[in-house]
Amino acid sequence: MVDIIIKNGFVIDPLNNVKGELMDVGIRNEKIVDPSEVRDPGSIVIDAGGRLVLAGGIDIHSHIAGPKVNIGRLMRPEDHYLTNIPSKLPFRRAMTGRTVPNVFAIGYKYALMGYTLVAEPACTPLKMRHAHDELNAIPIIDKMVFVLVDSNWLALDLMSEKQKDMLKTYLAWLLYSTKAYALKLVDPGSDAAWMMGRPSLDLNDQVPGYNLTPRDIIQLTGEANEALNLPHSIHVHCNRLGFPGNYITTLNTMKLGKDFALRNRNSIHITHVQFTGYGGDSWATLESGGEAIANELNVNPYVTLDLGQVTFGEATTMTADAPFEFVLYHLTRWKWASADVENETASGIVPYRYRKRSYVNTVQWAIGLEVLLLSKDLWRVFITTDHPNAGVFTDYPKIYAWIMSRRYREETLKEVNQSALRRCVLPSIDRELTLYELAIITRSAPAKLLGLEKEKGHLGIGASADIAIYDIDPRAVDLSRDYERILKTFSRAWCVIKGGEIVVKDGEIVQTIYGRTYSVDPYTAIPDDLRREFEVYLKDRFRQYYTVSLNNFIIRGHEIKKLNEIRLKSWK
Amino acid sequence: MPLKFRLITGRTIEQGRSMEAEGKFSDGYRKAVALAEMNPKDVEILGIRNNAKIVSVYGSVVVGVKPNSDVPPGLVFIPMGPWANVLTLPATEGTGMPTLKNIDVHVEPTSEDPTPLSAILELYGVEKISHRPTERPLAIGSRRVVNDVPCPFCGEVCDFLTVELEGEKITRILNACPIGHAKIMNYHKHRVLTPMIKHEVNGDFIEVDLEQALNRAAEILATAKYPLIYGLSNTCVEAIELAVELAEITRGVIDNTTTLCHGPTVMAVQEVGAVKITLGMAMNLADTMVFWGCNPMSAHINHIRRVVIPEGKFVKGRKERKIIVVDVRRSETAKLADIFIQVEPGKDYELFTALRMALRDYDIEAPNVAGVPREKIYELVDIMRTARFGVIFFGMGLTQGGAKHKNLEEVIKLVQELNEWSKWTLLPMRGHYNVTGSNHAMLWLTGYPYGVEFSRGFPKMIPGVTTTIDLLMNSEVDAALIIASDPVAHFPQKAVENLMKLPKIVIDPFWSLTAGVADVLIPSGVTGIECEGTVYRLDDVALKVKKLVDPPKDVLCDTDILSRLISKVKKLKRLA
Repeated sequence: MVDIIIKNGFVIDPLNNVKGELMDVGIRNEKIVDPSEVRDPGSIVIDAGGRLVLAGGIDIHSHIAGPKVNIGRLMRPEDHYLTNIPSKLPFRRAMTGRTVPNVFAIGYKYALMGYTLVAEPACTPLKMRHAHDELNAIPIIDKMVFVLVDSNWLALDLMSEKQKDMLKTYLAWLLYSTKAYALKLVDPGSDAAWMMGRPSLDLNDQVPGYNLTPRDIIQLTGEANEALNLPHSIHVHCNRLGFPGNYITTLNTMKLGKDFALRNRNSIHITHVQFTGYGGDSWATLESGGEAIANELNVNPYVTLDLGQVTFGEATTMTADAPFEFVLYHLTRWKWASADVENETASGIVPYRYRKRSYVNTVQWAIGLEVLLLSKDLWRVFITTDHPNAGVFTDYPKIYAWIMSRRYREETLKEVNQSALRRCVLPSIDRELTLYELAIITRSAPAKLLGLEKEKGHLGIGASADIAIYDIDPRAVDLSRDYERILKTFSRAWCVIKGGEIVVKDGEIVQTIYGRTYSVDPYTAIPDDLRREFEVYLKDRFRQYYTVSLNNFIIRGHEIKKLNEIRLKSWK
Repeated sequence: MPLKFRLITGRTIEQGRSMEAEGKFSDGYRKAVALAEMNPKDVEILGIRNNAKIVSVYGSVVVGVKPNSDVPPGLVFIPMGPWANVLTLPATEGTGMPTLKNIDVHVEPTSEDPTPLSAILELYGVEKISHRPTERPLAIGSRRVVNDVPCPFCGEVCDFLTVELEGEKITRILNACPIGHAKIMNYHKHRVLTPMIKHEVNGDFIEVDLEQALNRAAEILATAKYPLIYGLSNTCVEAIELAVELAEITRGVIDNTTTLCHGPTVMAVQEVGAVKITLGMAMNLADTMVFWGCNPMSAHINHIRRVVIPEGKFVKGRKERKIIVVDVRRSETAKLADIFIQVEPGKDYELFTALRMALRDYDIEAPNVAGVPREKIYELVDIMRTARFGVIFFGMGLTQGGAKHKNLEEVIKLVQELNEWSKWTLLPMRGHYNVTGSNHAMLWLTGYPYGVEFSRGFPKMIPGVTTTIDLLMNSEVDAALIIASDPVAHFPQKAVENLMKLPKIVIDPFWSLTAGVADVLIPSGVTGIECEGTVYRLDDVALKVKKLVDPPKDVLCDTDILSRLISKVKKLKRLA
């Protein structure tokens, strides 16, 4: 690998407190080094000429791989018909698809926007091998996948039997044996109900067949997550998602974080909060709960949020929240796919289109932006579209423009449903984010949230050489006025370096390489006697609930193209 | 005037077993598939003694006749294979799926002997077929027992087999069904072990080294304008991914065997979605199971002991489950059923529509729909909407004839609507052990599950145009790479005829009929026995199949062969 030096970059790097300075960045062997170390005459010199240099972007929640995504591709051929980009061999493979793109379009388009790490936020354990097959096939970016645990009979058994140590051990084993990175809860407990043909649950409802409530499930999983010292907190998709009035449930879920926090950091991540930020009591009276959620976020240090921002246009909703998708199918009456997985969870997929003139869609759009713009601590709020649920990830530049330019917001406010705006505070918000703040919410904070701030999300010495250079000199442009520039600049990076290799040049993909998959292994650290007891227990239950053999369920390290397994040491 | 009948083709245990154990050139296979099952009354009326001549618009064939009272009068059942395919219809009606069921045929008694395979191949335009089966040498070594072996035969991928070996010789297999047992036990027989190239003048195979064979194959693919890559359901996902890359490089077409099995199901899912489950959901929760147009007792034999019989978390075994079978004949599965509903061939669509009407409490005016009395339909709908958890398993009976993809749209809609009353799901009974995986891999790489072409550099799927049978019927492709599949045995006659006109590269561990007519024949290791890889069960659960023994000397796995082929084609196309 040839050394690289980036000269004269306008660097913004919040983790290292660099707020915009002309600097050089040196790269050797996939890492960032002191620029003075790069002296070899054979090194590549990139003259950034004052262009903006950021660490590679990180997306903490985007459905890019696994069974749901592939069923989405299957049932939406119309999504691919008009979105073809022919291959440019041997540099680039063919791309297709918009809301459910093929693996190449995913990897390339993220790289073109300057993103270098993306988390697939939900896969059921039994189909995790499928998720890894797809992650293996996605070029360029680093990736990770979260494992679904909230409706898992094995976990629910242990919870209702109050076997806390065994529960921790099981969750640790699950992360290890599926090569996943974090624990995901989706509409906690509701799939356990759905699998038996029952309606979804609110926080204090009883899970059918168990003496448990979704509140217990969140509490117990959160405790285990903190005790296992996992790098990410529990990642929660709240109960009642998609129903008017659900922001109360969300506020109550956010408050739970305090009860199981063990570490000096946030303990609960509430995902795509837009979908669970609805006031009102019906679709007709729907109103934004964005302000209430932002207020809770501002006083509750245990919580982090991501938006699930609506960007208008075509979407494919896909979630493990199977009961909600069944409801949505009845609202749209077009196509509906669902898949239930033994012992574990279920899922649903429904195509959807967000329209500016729609009352409901406008409220949804406003909620996301309100939450972000009213948040005081930008280290705890993240941009996502819950791709492809509320919008596609390629729309991120639009979100940047909405939050950085009041002028662009006003343009959009003119086009959306006006009566909906009366139920939202968005029109009265003046705040505009700076580039430095954008760097926080798209780079530094996500790295920290995932516990990867040592190597990701910054440009300090020793960090991974994942770098995006954008064709803009921030000293010369006023982005607040010139929002077109935001849309253009962040859609196509000028140059992207991934793992020390140049992958994007002048907004074009120049080579196809493959990144790493991050996973955690909290299991090895668990005391031997507890593991032995657990394995005996597991063997027996596993045979009862599953139609696969335990041995064939476990995913081995060699099945993953480039595995970066983080072995955790402590156990409380 | 000979009497008019309807022909149904399909799998039987003996067809599968003899094919896996003895190979398609064997007497056993001929006896198993050159055979028509007919109702004894029909046999008597026609005065058939041993053999009958069966004629369709596409050809005629003489087969043995076996009276079987499970076959209703007016129906002829012939197991899938070259004999049946003399009669099947290649027209896909824009669906990619030829008509392999419900074909109008005439039957007459004859004293002629059953048509020999050679005569059928001649009919297909095969000038010369070679067959040099070799047994792979088996190093005898110490005794080993391997547990949790996933079976590389059907879509069930039973992963609870125990295989005992002495060195490379398999001595005992536990928990496998007869077909899986036959495949694994006989993995060393009927093997292609040396690469071969067909002599251009006399048509004999010449043994060559792998490098030569790969060079010739690369040349064919690199010079072809529109090559077809077909098969892929009997290999691992890793190999399928490489095959897609090869199609992209050569700007050809890639298609898998879905095109001939659940292609119409996939098309229906594209239109309306699906309501799927994994097998364990049925095992743990289903109190009502419908088998519609599928016959797991012959094709997915362990399905019954995995899903129907066992005690699950919420259902205490077979006694708490209601089993309903809907089929055109009283299949082996039908004999296990609590309720058997005999539907007229090709009329499933009408029956689904009637069920949907009944579900909405509409009156059905006709006293009979698709041969089923109206009262029976009301009764069936009542059972369905009062079930706690229902599942419909369905098979080729719905895809290979009648309304094809429209059947599937109806059954999916029926299940979607049933969910307003109760919990209902469905699951296609997929055939090959990795046909599901080939759909998945093609989906994530191209956005489409089968029949994908790259002529303009990007993927595109148009059923009825970019699907294999149509491409062959329209003579659009100019070379073929067949990976782990036997189209000569399983395509309708006219499609095989056109395939014969193309240069053919065949990658296969075994001597199939297609291997016998290859221009370049490259042996490969048997996935799941000699090669590791990922495969997808019929319910989309991915499993790693095992390497139990090393491949034979100088024989590579599909993944290695395809990687080498890709780098050679790239070089020729100046893409390296």
